[in-house]
Amino acid sequence: MSSSDQEPQPAPVAGSDGPTPPGKAMTLERKLIDEGAQILQSKKPVSQMKQHLCSFALYGHDPCRQIEAHHYAARLNEEVLQCAVYDSDSPSARLIGVEYIVSEAIFEKLPAEEQKLWHSHAYAIKSGALTCPGVPEVMQRQELKGLAKTYGKFWCTWQVDRGDRLPLGAPALMMSMQTGMAQPEMVKRRDEKYEVSSEALKESRKEMPEPEKIHPNADYWKLHGKGFAVDVVQMDMNSPPALAASAI
Amino acid sequence: MASAQVDVPGNPTSTGTALLETATAAIQGFHPINKIHQHLCAFHFYGDDMTRQVEAHHFCSHQNEEMRQCLIYDGEELGAKLIGVEYLISEALFLALPDEEKPLWHSHEYEVKSGLLFMPRVPAAVQRKEMEQVSKTYGKTYHFWQVDRGDHLPLGLPQLMMAFTQDGQLRQDLATDVEKRYGVSFEEEREMRKHMTGPDQGIHPLANGAGKGQRLELREVDISLVA
Repeated sequence: MSSSDQEPQPAPVAGSDGPTPPGKAMTLERKLIDEGAQILQSKKPVSQMKQHLCSFALYGHDPCRQIEAHHYAARLNEEVLQCAVYDSDSPSARLIGVEYIVSEAIFEKLPAEEQKLWHSHAYAIKSGALTCPGVPEVMQRQELKGLAKTYGKFWCTWQVDRGDRLPLGAPALMMSMQTGMAQPEMVKRRDEKYEVSSEALKESRKEMPEPEKIHPNADYWKLHGKGFAVDVVQMDMNSPPALAASAI
Repeated sequence: MASAQVDVPGNPTSTGTALLETATAAIQGFHPINKIHQHLCAFHFYGDDMTRQVEAHHFCSHQNEEMRQCLIYDGEELGAKLIGVEYLISEALFLALPDEEKPLWHSHEYEVKSGLLFMPRVPAAVQRKEMEQVSKTYGKTYHFWQVDRGDHLPLGLPQLMMAFTQDGQLRQDLATDVEKRYGVSFEEEREMRKHMTGPDQGIHPLANGAGKGQRLELREVDISLVA
């Protein structure tokens, strides 16, 4: 099984030594093909990403393990965003997952079983854990006001922080930063890099509206003391009839 | 597109929000996104159900010569939904994976050689160089939004996706739809790609689910709040 909460089997690409990911440097030929594609192809969906958000996420099966997560968010409408999530903001950043963000109104209409997979954003925003790098706080406050009452669903497909040099195993369900969970060293490093102060952001966001009550099905681990892991299970494939008939 | 047209719930983006985002977009950096240089169109099927098939638009960036990471959308227009991710690795990297990991990855040889996997709008002769390399790679794909069953939002668990490995698997209507929209002919391209080869050591027996279906299941676990 390649469960999200299991350490991968020892192998050259599971754990430590060497770059992440491994592999030879790009050849000139590859770069030229890339450049050519750039010119000829359009990337409309990708061009829709207009916000960079930096926050900290917790592993749903182990909330004491956390990562710095960089979300590049594209808005589908006033109430729904879709984000590509990376482990840094550099050109060599690893794509570690996807997060979807929905308004409180949409979240409330989801079935209860679905809601358990989602997390709230109010604490992360108001505590200053979440910031929009490079954006003056007065503008950030405007942007984040619209996000403070949202809920998110974040699947992490590459556990770089535990040393995986390639994406291994099943996706891990992630949760958002909550009271008492932030690792001071991680926050300090982030704050220094972006020349912000989480404390100052928290002060500035004191009056920001938040949900009257976080929905009891969100942030499942907080109320229930249980998390979620994901397993890969094998079974017979459901095949198209013609193929199934021809298979011996 | 052949995938069900699903409307995402929610009010349209307000002018205020749009203006604010345009302003922040101008100030912030988007390095990882700016590295996305290629658009590949292909088809995936659900890891436990080959009858469910999806057109998948990959927007890819190279981490190095041997590894790519891709965002997958259900189309290429402005409102396209981000439905998943795929990672592509060279044969060498695949062989170094733990054995329990290998079944989660699929081969690309058939998709490339049959013409089903292509780079929209890039002249066929130019993309063939790229396809020669892709033919030898393995991919790992998760989808999070099941647009093919009409989901208006990304519901449920991630879905491990697989790629076709022989004739007769892909639904003809999905193939024809793509051919028409992009003005391509898979048959013709197959002819031109006849010389291409797959992994040097052949498709690994553990790849493509090791011949079985696979799906993801959720499990509740005890957690410790003491690091």
